[in-house]
Amino acid sequence: MGTVAIYSLFIINKSGGLIYYKDYGSAGRMDTNDSLRLASLWHSMHAISQQLSPTTGCTGIDLLQAHNFDLHCFQSLTGTKFFVVCETGAQNMEILLKTIYELYTEFVLKNPFYEMEMPIRCELFDLNLAQVIQKDRVALLGR
Amino acid sequence: MPPLTTPKSGDALFASVERVNAELFTLTYGAIVRQLLTDLEEVEEVNKQLDQMGYNIGTRLVDEFLAKSNVSNCADFKETADTIAKTLSYVCPVIAFFTATVAMHHSGTFHALSSANSLGFKMFLGVTATVTNWDAEGTTCSFVLEDNPLVDFVELPDTCQGLQYCNVLSGVIRGALEMVSMKTEVTWVRDMLRGDDAYEMRVKLTKQVPEEYPYKDDD
Amino acid sequence: MISVGKTKQYANVLDKPLSRGRQEVSLSAFAFLFSEVVQYNQTQVDNIADLERRLEDAGYAVGARVLELLCHREKGNRRETRLLGILSFIHSNVWKVLFGKVADSLEKGTEHEDEYMISEKELLVNRFISVPKDMGAFNCGAFVAGIVRGVLDNAGFPAVVTAHFVPIEGQQRPRTTILIKFAEEVLRRESRLG
Repeated sequence: MGTVAIYSLFIINKSGGLIYYKDYGSAGRMDTNDSLRLASLWHSMHAISQQLSPTTGCTGIDLLQAHNFDLHCFQSLTGTKFFVVCETGAQNMEILLKTIYELYTEFVLKNPFYEMEMPIRCELFDLNLAQVIQKDRVALLGR
Repeated sequence: MPPLTTPKSGDALFASVERVNAELFTLTYGAIVRQLLTDLEEVEEVNKQLDQMGYNIGTRLVDEFLAKSNVSNCADFKETADTIAKTLSYVCPVIAFFTATVAMHHSGTFHALSSANSLGFKMFLGVTATVTNWDAEGTTCSFVLEDNPLVDFVELPDTCQGLQYCNVLSGVIRGALEMVSMKTEVTWVRDMLRGDDAYEMRVKLTKQVPEEYPYKDDD
Repeated sequence: MISVGKTKQYANVLDKPLSRGRQEVSLSAFAFLFSEVVQYNQTQVDNIADLERRLEDAGYAVGARVLELLCHREKGNRRETRLLGILSFIHSNVWKVLFGKVADSLEKGTEHEDEYMISEKELLVNRFISVPKDMGAFNCGAFVAGIVRGVLDNAGFPAVVTAHFVPIEGQQRPRTTILIKFAEEVLRRESRLG
């Protein structure tokens, strides 16, 4: 039972536009252009993975494993993607993503000043997200 | 195909969420309807605006519904009428959820405040929406709301006889379904306010937006 | 699914028994509705002062009705006639029925005799709302300020009521203070009544 490191979080709208990016101290923080481009590429790869599927009903990449990190992705039925980049073998990331999705429905979608599909600039979302991301909290989620 | 996650029932859903006194809702809705009547003057315009507001709410509300109801597996849900039916019935609690809220609206006029007690405000529990009357193609169905508490509340002044609170409701359905790739037309076919025995909305699937791939392989 | 039997039909809504006000809706339903109220009103204005005024107007309509409802239901068709009485009625009765709790505090202004403040650490209407930086000090609590003004005005206590964010030491989020500035006539009447 240890704590896990989360390196970064991305939220992509249904058209592949990056609407939220948060870096939690990964080695190379990306600039805006890089993160936008990467989000768009991930959106494409996610779609390609569905086409690669030998059977119908594939919902796209859920987990990508590299030798030094894992990437967990959750796509809502409405097409919004949430993904975290974290250390290898990190547990409970599905629960974390679901929790972040719920925060999004609370502090983003109920905010009258948030325009749908646009970048998320909501203080309350940031504050609540920060609490959830705290390493020990992530560990606790699994209990 | 993996089984769809068992969605929570509408009443379990309602029981699990934070609640507020219905009168705050009732009165706030009354206030916005009054603003619309003042701003837009024409009742028909108010109806359009209510539909638009419902649509906006639907587009935002659907995610909360999906997040809280455990509807998470969309495998094949777009492919057959059967699964469309399932999806539609999943959305039902959204409607019920909102119907309950719409029910509150009618206390917008003060004397309606004196009602409420007899209302099925066991919340949306009292408002069960059933999906029925499928056509042969499986693209049109009815949402039937019996015992809709709406009807208990409504007492429109003579000047607002054409006002349709229910447009908010059809707007919510349209908005919510559009967010899960289904364009629909929603029309009212039965209306207790006009003496029918139930509320019935005809929901017609006009277009299923195909999966959009962010790359083109034909050019 | 639980189904409620057909409710009794009344010829006139006035014949129905008065609600005891114990029904509930989900907070989400209210939040989505309130969000629409704010969004709609934003389309009707081109500056923040007008948005504030319109939200206050919407709240005023709510306040006027809450006063009538509560005076009937809780106070046997009597209403408060003294300044402290009506303030405490708002702080306790009105807050409780609308927001499910009494307000966090009710204080008298230290600098002006005619000012009172009702404060709330987290106003229910602001629960999910983050005001963009470019909107400055705008507070959707203007709606609640309107409710307070609606109650006061209809009870015979005309006042100017505004909502403000006030930072709290050691807290990330500011609280909201509803500032009530009574009209001169109200204070004159109070001093006559002694």
